[in-house]
Amino acid sequence: MAILEVRDLYKDFSGLEVLFGVNLTVDPGERHAVIGPNGAGKSTVFNLITGKYKPSKGKILFKDQDITGFPPHKIARMGLTRSFQVTNIFRNMTVFENVRNAVLSRNMFRYNVLSYLSRMKGITRETEDILAQIDLLERKTELAGELAHGHQRALEIGLTMAMAPELILLDEPTAGMSAEETRSTVRLIDRITKGKTLVIVEHDMDVVFTIADRITVLYYGQILASGVPEEIRDDQKVKDAYLGEEENE
Amino acid sequence: MRHPATRTIAAISIAIVLLLLAPFFLDILQTRMLIEIAYFSLFAVSYNFLFGYGGLLSFGHAAFFGLGAYTTAILMKTIGGMPLLLAMAAGGIVAALGGVIIGFFCVRRKGAYFALLTLAFNQFLWAMAWKWRALTGGDDGIGDIVPDQPINLGIVKLDLYELEPMYYLVIVVVLVFLGAGWYLTKSPFGNSIKAIKGNDERAAFLGYNVTRSKLLIFTFSAFYAGMAGSLFAIFQDFVATSAIDLAMSTQVIFMAFLGGTGSYLGPILGSAIFVYFTDWISGLTDRWEFILGVLFVILVLFFREGFIGLIPAKLRSIFAAGEGT
Repeated sequence: MAILEVRDLYKDFSGLEVLFGVNLTVDPGERHAVIGPNGAGKSTVFNLITGKYKPSKGKILFKDQDITGFPPHKIARMGLTRSFQVTNIFRNMTVFENVRNAVLSRNMFRYNVLSYLSRMKGITRETEDILAQIDLLERKTELAGELAHGHQRALEIGLTMAMAPELILLDEPTAGMSAEETRSTVRLIDRITKGKTLVIVEHDMDVVFTIADRITVLYYGQILASGVPEEIRDDQKVKDAYLGEEENE
Repeated sequence: MRHPATRTIAAISIAIVLLLLAPFFLDILQTRMLIEIAYFSLFAVSYNFLFGYGGLLSFGHAAFFGLGAYTTAILMKTIGGMPLLLAMAAGGIVAALGGVIIGFFCVRRKGAYFALLTLAFNQFLWAMAWKWRALTGGDDGIGDIVPDQPINLGIVKLDLYELEPMYYLVIVVVLVFLGAGWYLTKSPFGNSIKAIKGNDERAAFLGYNVTRSKLLIFTFSAFYAGMAGSLFAIFQDFVATSAIDLAMSTQVIFMAFLGGTGSYLGPILGSAIFVYFTDWISGLTDRWEFILGVLFVILVLFFREGFIGLIPAKLRSIFAAGEGT
């Protein structure tokens, strides 16, 4: 049984067609990478799945429930959370408060007015656990907006993971990183998403082939190929359209 | 952590004791000013729930102050033997209902659209107060609100034609509400509001219902403004359209900014400065509103933190241990 099923998805932005009939199936425990050249529609697929935009046509099923057109907060509460390509954190809050926002939401403390936040020991402990996992515990009192880029990216992933999602969508987690930062981020992702279902949009082929056990290639709004990494590496269409390009650069 | 918290509790306790003893060492005029400061503090703090905590810049907050003031006044006038405290609570509740309805239309909008919509609703309610003479008395207003008989609170009887009982009624109500409001800012819901102000998109993708949260804080803020308006009506023993006009909406913005919107205490300080300053300056010149305007410009340009920013951080921290944690 698939945890996520995208059926025949179309999206146009006031006439500009971005996706034409995209199908995507993700099984529980799978680590699925979506690759494709710039403008292929990768981020749009993510934005449709997570409710940022509504599809023009098509269906999205999460845990067999039709979530097409659901608002983002509803989808997040169902156990599907995402990270963003452009870092999207609470810049004016501390690192600790950032992660705590996610932990509070996950524990359904969104509207509680009776508890005194700084005395909620369970929330604090859970928040610090996550901070330790993303190696930001020592920086917990720093303002998120003042962190180095690499640390902000780790926090971005941490916010996503703090929701303890059943399905994790990571949108180019290594965007704008140096080779060294990329390596450590890949280790981080590998570590904290172990055994979890993951869909990752990525540009860096080394990252993709390290993390993914299934790859979907998106090319100008359509699926070009989908399969295990070896199949994709040997696929002539993919080579022509995409991988070849990379190597020639 | 223990030390600053203890100091804060001590400092606030001393402030409360001083407030409760104030009528014994202040003259009538100063006591009256303290009452004014008290209900305007509540009004300004209610404004800051929206602006300081929620990031929602409203130009029409007097709508709720006025709803509270008129509701209390109308109930006291039209229903014989209406218990005063019930009429006050009704003032808050009607303002909160107004908040739900007006908020429903406003909180989906952002920035200038939000501000202009709140302004429009304020104008609408002001026009109602102006024109619906049968209910509101129009520009004659409603007077003689306070009951002739002392109100019986079980343990004490308050004769509100005396200044001291009036003072204690207002101060106790304001302190209770300010305390509860402060607690709210330290609760998970208070944190949700700050998170949404900080980054509403990210908050939504972490499961926060942005629209509903904004509507809740809008309603809560309206409720507080309504309570402040209700106290205003009782103390003045008179309500007219000045309680719900744009000058009142401007005044609350001014009080909040004057003290500083970055902290809970800022608007309280701002209300105190505003009341004292206008009292002083209006004694000096007829053109005091002009001077107020100039002061506001200087404030926004050069003292973004408000007057509370001029208090040394150490001294401030005594009153606000744990602020921001």
